[in-house]
Formats: sequence, C-alpha cells, structure tokens
Amino acid sequence: MSVLDDKERRIVGFLCNWCSYGGADTAGTARANQPTDLRIIRVPCSGRVNPLFILKALMNGADGVLVSGCHPRDCHYALGNFYARRRLETLKEFLPIIGINPERFHYTWVSASEGQRWQEVVTKFTDHIHKLGAAPKWSEVPALKDVKFDLVDAIRPLGCGTHPALAELKAEIKKALPDLHGVLGWRKGYDAIHAEPFLMQTEAEVDELIWGPFNVQNLANFLPKHAGKKIGVVVKGCDSKNVVELLVEKLIKREDVTIFGIGCNGTVDYKRILAKLPEDAVIESVVGGGSGVKVTASGKEYDMPMAEIAQDKCRLCVKPNAVISDVFLGKPTIEPECEDGRLPALRFLDTLTLEERMGFWKGQMEHCIRCYACRSACPQCVCRDFCVSDSRDPEWLTQEDSVEQKMFFQLIHAQHLAGRCTGCAECERACPMDIPVFALKQQFGRMIKKIFGYSAGLDLESMPPLLGYELEEANIKERDL
Amino acid sequence: MRIGIFVCHCGSNIEATVNTAAVAKKSLEYPDVVFATDTMYTCSEPGQDSIVEAIKEHQLDGVVVASCSPRMHEATFRRTVQRAGINPYMFEMANIREHVSWIGKDKDANTNKSAELVLLASEKLRNNRPLFPQQFDVTKRVLVIGGGVAGIQAALDCADGGIDVVMVEKTATIGGKMAKLDKTFPTIDCSSCVLSPKTVDVSQNEKITLHAYSEIESISGFVGNFTVKIRKKSTYVDWTLCTGCGSCIEKCPSKKNPDAFNEGIGTTTAINIPYPQAIPKKATIYADVCRKLRDGKCGVCAKVCPTGAIKYDMVDEIIEEQVGAVITATGYDQMDWTQLGEYGAGKLPDVVTGLQYERLLSASGPTEGHIKRPSDGLEPKSVVFIQCVGSRDKSIGRPYCSGFCCMYTAKQAILTKDHVPESQSYVFYMDIRAPGKMYDEFTRRAMEEYGTEYIRGRVSTIQPHIRPDGVVGYMVRGADTLLGQPVEIDADLVVLAVGVEGAQGAAQLAEKLRISYDQYGFFMESHPKLKPVETNTAGVYLAGVCQGVKDIPTSVSQGSAAAAKVMALFSKPKLQSDPQIAFVDIKRCIGCGKCITVCPYQAIKEVSFRGAPKAEVVGTVCQGCGLCNATCPQGAIQVAHFTDNQLLAEVNALCQF
Repeated sequence: MSVLDDKERRIVGFLCNWCSYGGADTAGTARANQPTDLRIIRVPCSGRVNPLFILKALMNGADGVLVSGCHPRDCHYALGNFYARRRLETLKEFLPIIGINPERFHYTWVSASEGQRWQEVVTKFTDHIHKLGAAPKWSEVPALKDVKFDLVDAIRPLGCGTHPALAELKAEIKKALPDLHGVLGWRKGYDAIHAEPFLMQTEAEVDELIWGPFNVQNLANFLPKHAGKKIGVVVKGCDSKNVVELLVEKLIKREDVTIFGIGCNGTVDYKRILAKLPEDAVIESVVGGGSGVKVTASGKEYDMPMAEIAQDKCRLCVKPNAVISDVFLGKPTIEPECEDGRLPALRFLDTLTLEERMGFWKGQMEHCIRCYACRSACPQCVCRDFCVSDSRDPEWLTQEDSVEQKMFFQLIHAQHLAGRCTGCAECERACPMDIPVFALKQQFGRMIKKIFGYSAGLDLESMPPLLGYELEEANIKERDL
Repeated sequence: MRIGIFVCHCGSNIEATVNTAAVAKKSLEYPDVVFATDTMYTCSEPGQDSIVEAIKEHQLDGVVVASCSPRMHEATFRRTVQRAGINPYMFEMANIREHVSWIGKDKDANTNKSAELVLLASEKLRNNRPLFPQQFDVTKRVLVIGGGVAGIQAALDCADGGIDVVMVEKTATIGGKMAKLDKTFPTIDCSSCVLSPKTVDVSQNEKITLHAYSEIESISGFVGNFTVKIRKKSTYVDWTLCTGCGSCIEKCPSKKNPDAFNEGIGTTTAINIPYPQAIPKKATIYADVCRKLRDGKCGVCAKVCPTGAIKYDMVDEIIEEQVGAVITATGYDQMDWTQLGEYGAGKLPDVVTGLQYERLLSASGPTEGHIKRPSDGLEPKSVVFIQCVGSRDKSIGRPYCSGFCCMYTAKQAILTKDHVPESQSYVFYMDIRAPGKMYDEFTRRAMEEYGTEYIRGRVSTIQPHIRPDGVVGYMVRGADTLLGQPVEIDADLVVLAVGVEGAQGAAQLAEKLRISYDQYGFFMESHPKLKPVETNTAGVYLAGVCQGVKDIPTSVSQGSAAAAKVMALFSKPKLQSDPQIAFVDIKRCIGCGKCITVCPYQAIKEVSFRGAPKAEVVGTVCQGCGLCNATCPQGAIQVAHFTDNQLLAEVNALCQF
C-alpha cells in the first residue's frame, strides 16, 4: 500500500491492548488532534512484541516504528514490559550496524489514562520521522562490492604444533571411556589441513585424536544432539564457553558431560591456507612447528607463518583456556588482555555511514546461497530442524531468493543469539561464500555487554539478559523524543 | 475465505471526516473480500441484523467492522457474528473512530488511513482460526480491601448474597474516614450512629472474616482463582484474648503520642483502641512509641492485662486466602497541604484541616465535642473556612475538584453556629458545587439560617498576630472577587477544606492487583461511563473514593454495585476462560524451557512426550500476554489470536518494501 502522495511517512505502531491502545483511544475520545501517518497494530502486551516484527517492518520499508506499553511496574501482565524494555533497548542499539537509523525506532510507555501524552508521543515521533525523511530502501541503495578487510595483528603468540599434553589427554579419555557413551574430539580429515569432528568410542579411536591448529570446529555444537547420554567432549577456550552457555540454558545436564579442557594456541583459517596455494594444488602433508606450518602440495613446499593464516577470532582471543573442565591437560595458555575485540568486518562497518552499511550488507547478501551452514555450525542454534526460517507457520521468511529474505534470515539468527552468543564465530568460518555474518552477532554482543555488562558463556550461574529483567535497569534510560 | 466488510458512519462521528463509502469500495479490492458496505450505526439493532443477513446471503466466513475501538464494541460484534453461525474469533475490528476520525480533519488522509486499517484487519482475519473457550471452577469468596463505608457496604451485600467475604483493613479498626466524622450532610445525622450498626454487622456476620491491622502482601492468580497473601501486622496483643476492657490504656505511661484517629489533634497512649466504637474493639501497641518495645523498660500493660493478652514478642504473620474476586475500597487521603505557604504551611497551630475539625466537633474527639482551638483551648468566635485547598489548582498540579468539600464546609459552618451561637463563620469559596439531593438547599441554609458569610475569592496569606487582649489571632487576607476588593478577617480558627487524593499506598496496591491508576493515586475504571465499577483486570472491582472523589451515598452505592458485580460473576456454576491464550505446537517444541523461564504466571510446565521434554500450557492459568511467543526461537508456542502469522500479516500489509 502506498504512502499517501508522499504527505505521509509509513509509521507502524505496536501498542499493548491494556495501556497504550487505551491511551490512544482516550486521546481519540478527547479529540486530541494527531498526524495521520501512524498505523496501529494491537498486541496483548509490549512483551509480545518480538523485536523481529520491528526489524521486519523496518527492512520492508517502514520509515518509523513505535512500540508503546504500560509503564514499568504497571504492566497488565505484571512483567511483560520489563522483558520488552530489555529486548527493545538491545534492538535499538543493534540497528545502526545494518544501516538503519536507530531514531526510526522508538519505544515508550503510555497508560490508558494518558491521552494527552499519547498525542504528544505520536506528534513528536511523526514530526521526527518526517524530518528524517523516507527510509533508504534495500532495493535502492547501491551494493558495496569487493570489500577487503585488513588483517588484525595477534594479541598473543600463536602456536602451530601438536599440543604437548596430547598423550596425557588420550590417557585421560581412555580412563573415562568405559563410563561414557563416547567422547567428542577431532581426527585427521580428508586431507592434511582439514580436521574433522568424531565420536571416540573405542581405545583405537582415541588414538586417532589430534590436537593442533587444525581443530577448528566447535565440538560443543554436538552436545545437544547427545542430550540424555553420558558424553565426553574435548574443548578449547571458545568451545568451552558454549558448553557453559548450553548448561546455563539447561539444554544439557552438567552430570551428563565430562569435559576435557586444554589451552589453545590458535587455529588456522583454511581459506587463508588455500589462498596461498595454486588452485589445482593437492595437499599432501603438513608439518607444524615454530611460528608456522610447512604445507606440501603437489610436490611443492609452502611455508606459512601462523601470523598470516590464523583465524581472526584466534588472533584476538582472550579466553584460550577452557573456562570449564573436569580435567585440564597441560599448562594453561597465556590469557592476554584485549581492548578491542572487534573482528575485521565490524571494524570496517564502524567506519561506514548508515547507508554504506546497508549497501555493505546488500553486497554481501547477494552472494548468500541460503545453505544455512552458518546455522548448522552454531552451537547455540538449538532449534535445528525446527528453525523458523524453514517454517510456514510461523512464516517469517519466504523461499524467495532476494537480498531482503537472506538478510532477514541473518537478522533472525543474530537476534535469537542476542545475549547467548559466546563469540566463537563458527557461523562465519562455516560460510562457503565468505560472508562476515559474525559481525551481526558481535554487534549484539557488544551492545549486550554495554547495556547489561554481560558476556555469554562465562558463568554457570548467569542468565542470558534477554530472558530476565530488573525492576530498575541501571543502563536503560527512558528516552525523550 | 469469504470476508465481509462493514464500514460504520457512527452517525457523523466517522462520516464527517472519513468517506466511508470510498473505504468500503476500496476494500472490495482486498484479497478474499467478497462483500463491503457502509452503514449508519453498525452497532444498532438494524446494523447488527444487516451483518447477520449479509453473512447468510454472501456465505461469509469472516467479518471486519470498521468503526470504533475494539475496546468499545468488539464483544458486541463477536456476539453478532456468532448469532449468524460464525465463530466469534473470525471477526476483526478496524478502529477508524478513536484512531482516525476523531483525531484529524483531513478527509483524504483519514479515508486513506481507514482503508489501510481495514486492509490490516482483513489481512489479519485471513490468518484467524476459530477459537473455543474452556470452562473452569470459581472460588466463591471475595476479598474486600479497605474497611471504610464503601468496603463495609460491599462486604455486607456480598455476605447477604451468601458469599464468604475476607476483609482486609490496614488500620486497627474499620470505619474509615466516615468514623471520624461528627455529622453528615445534608441531614446532620450523627455519622457514627449511622455507621455503627454496619460496622457491628461486619464483626458479627458469620460470612465475613475481618483482618484488621493487615495489608495485602501479594496477589496472584486470575479471575475466579486468586491467591492472596495477607500480612497481619504485629499488634503485640493477642486479639483472641483481648476483651477491649481498656485497663492497659489507662495505665500506659507513654501518653503523649499523636493520635492518628484524631488526625493528630490531641494525644494518645502507646497501646490504644482507636475510638470507643472501634471494630474490632481490641488494643494495639504501636512499637515506635512503646517504651517496652523501644527501650525494653516498662511492661506495665502486660502486668495489668487481666487476660494475659500482651505479647511483646509477636511478629508479623503472613496468611494466605483463596478468593474468586477482589473489591478494592481503599478510599483516600488528604493531599500534603503543608507545601502550601499561603495557609501557613502547617506551622500555624490553629489552622486545621476539615477532618481535624470533625474531630474537634465530635463528642468522641479530644475535646469531647466542645470546640476548642488547639493552641490555647479558646472557644473560637470567628471561624474562617477556606475551600479548594489543593483542589482545582493547576499551578500545583491539582486540576480536579475534590467534590465533597463544599458540602462539608457548609455543614461545619452550621455546626459551628450550633456549638457556639455567638460565633461568626466565613467561607472563602471558588464556586459552590452542591448538585446532590437536598444539597443546594443545605448550603442555602448555612447562608440564610445560620448567617454564614460566603466570600467568593481566594486567600493569599494567614498572618498570626497578637491582639490587644494578648490573645493570638489569625489575620486572613484574601480577595472578594465579586466586590473586586481585598478582604481581611481576624480569625480565631481557620479550617481548610483540603483536597483529596488516592490513599497512601494505592499505587503499590494497584501494581499488585495489576490495575491502572492515575497520577493522583485513583484507580482506573474499565470504562468511564459504562463500566465504572470494573477494572481492566477481570475479577477486580472498585468501590468508593479509590476510583475517584465521591460522597458517602455514592460510595455506598458503588459498594453495592461492586457487590452486585461479584454476585453476578459468582452466579455462574463455571467461568469461561478467554481462548486467546498460548498453545504449543508439540512437533516444533524442542523443550528448551525459555517460555517457562519468562512466563509471569507459571502457566507453562515441562512435560515428557515420548521421552523428550516439551512445553505445555495450563489453559486456565495462561492470561495470553504472549511473552512466551516472543521468546520462543522456533515459534513453537503461539498465543491464539495474536500469532506470529497474524501479526506478520499486519506488518506485511503495511510494509512491502
């Protein structure tokens, strides 16, 4: 439906039935004159407003979205608006990274008796949206193409050999094996630079275990699939955070999991290794040691220093040691301080204007093939076969091959991980099209950290902030328009 | 689907600023819409009949009415479509009155907006599903909060109707503000003589359980099945043993404490019974002024008590009651008038409030019914009454009229003349508001028979001064706006008709009850005209001044009205639950339990389905807020009538790139 002759802007309101919808009625009954742009969608409670509705509206051409609920402490359902406040604030802080001006989204509280206040809210918000003008459309912004990111320097020494405690680790696993359904680990994959996850169930299989810079996959990913069985898992620092998060969310039980922790010296980015080889090269062997690896491919040797081939997340890793373990093998790795944990894509995005960011994502999404490897690789993506992106009821996405649909999937993924993502960046590693999808989760992560001082996967006693609330939020201030 | 659209003119309410015929015509272009028309008054009988006919004639299976707010007529039209054989939830409303025609005059923009709101509604309707209510049992007991006259009336009427009543009163006696009054207007009845039979009834009625000196700790549950936790504050006296003999009060050495029942005029003992007709007539020790409890030295009351009722080690007790409905009758308090400098900011001893003056007039008061001013006991000969103190004053954020002050001021002027025949009373007023039965006649009597001098105007200062005879006088300076000149009156006593606001703690109680309240602490009714006793929380009703200012007869009426509502509610063998609640698609549920974590009602439980954990909604407990729906990542739990697909249909109708 078209916006009336450009006199109006497309503004969508989500109003709770009990307070704000009543407030809008009170304003109407009092004949309180208001601009005509706003279209109100009635919901039972502001807590019903999934932030994805707001993203959907903004992605699909809304110039402004307004959410209004009962005043905090005055929710008809007692708590709904407390949850809403956290989720909506987090969303507002997230928006700039996808190129949406956060001022296009406002949330507020209006009671059923506050007709006059409602009139003010609508008038001010509508005026503000008119000042901002029509929102840039995905179909119209120029796509940013051929983006290259700078390599970030490692904040710690990266190793590349076999872990010295590997023999000790194998012994420990063999000791525990009789009581377990199996132990998750890595073994050599289809060629020398690829490791693959596997379940060790016999001593012979334990002997296949490898431990080095090729063990990229996050083994926590496989734990929910084995829920209910006694299972062991070998974890590096990043994997262990996901184990914690799965335990926090009660998706696995502590007594079911035996955790073998080791310190990690960094893992490789396969794509960086392959980029250094001719396209038709066949990898024959890899020898690690010192500051790099030596790859033999199609009879030629290539020296590759870790400084050039390590994954970005490993360069900036501050938690290389398992944060939770039943048995910790070897000496812990040095835990460096890091002031700026942004991976290159986020660093790059931060330098762009809002419209350029939208163009950036448009350019990236043009490559997306909707393989959902990002989803499959994510240890916190526990819905698996029941992901909303494959569902007709609810039908958040169509199967249409458009930039908007692909981007919206990424937004669903990121929003579902807000406050739960531990930052393992497996989504990005798994992407066959090199799309830096982790930047979306990292944006949520840093905003969650900023608002709630919370990082997922560190504390067994914690609760993801968007599943909780405080009566008074220290870092959420009610905004004026 | 076959959808019919009915666009209402609402007389000229909508038609004047919306081209309803154009809206109806436009809506014929929308998907699945097979019929559209505009009607004069859709809610009228012919209007509703035309919907029924159209449903039959055009085989409609869904209806959209574009008219007023769904908060007004959704229930009406749901019944209409049901009459024609359609499930009531296959109906949607587009609010084109409160949200369109009444808030702007641009007819083109309004017509376009209305057409879009109809599209919104019909797109949602295309995703609606028939819903069916469940039935559940109801606990036929009612909680009455507040033991003033409104609460008493509500409790007695409910008890009369055979309903068990739990009454909670925060002070040590019921009776409320009315118990403090000397006489009542316009009959000059003795207030306590009128009230006492009712308070006694409360104490003697087998159906009523009274918890005095108690407060509401928490309320959970829902209509028909509330669980109330009541804090019985420690009285330090075992009321099952106390006979109300008063020996303890006679001997208590801590005598100089402000007397709350007497509004701070006069003093009382640390252990006391608020007033002679108190119900329950039991003693209470106030710990902050009791020598034994504060300093550990004394214990006289325990020694003299003939029944050994004194228990210094008593602690607050939390008890639990199950009720099916709640009547709040928490009344009012006076606003803090001491912030108003023109009346001496509370620092002048002989400037008293209307309620304090009631205690000076009352035979049970500190002066035994002889008017003696607080500072020196002088019988006042010149009394100035000032009305609208903290009422109808926008400059201090109190724009509303407190309603009953004009009348009680006239009554107090009459009583002053009765007590002190040689006295002269003056009343500063803004307007006289006396719209009740025999009210205007009453104020005229004050003027004409009792010679009260009414001065239209405001007071600017009250200045104490020493008269030649050494007695302190109060020079009241003000304006007479009818004569257009300043006035000065040398008063012996000044009585302020202080504006009222919702009782202290009203906001906190409202939050526990999940009802709305305004900035003055008054609870919000469900509809100002048609549902003045109901709240937006089903099963919670209002009586008396807690809802807004009103006098005694109106408070009593509302008490009875609230009782009638409760009896109507309880007259059904079972209640029907709203079917707009959450339901789980068990195939999609992965049993992660996030919905269980966030549910404010513990309405979702984990069940085992073929060995896997799944969420299950307890239908009668779920209130349909949809928090679970917004939380579930798979969208496996949906709140009926507000499902993801229904809301997405609305978003998609509005935003299409």
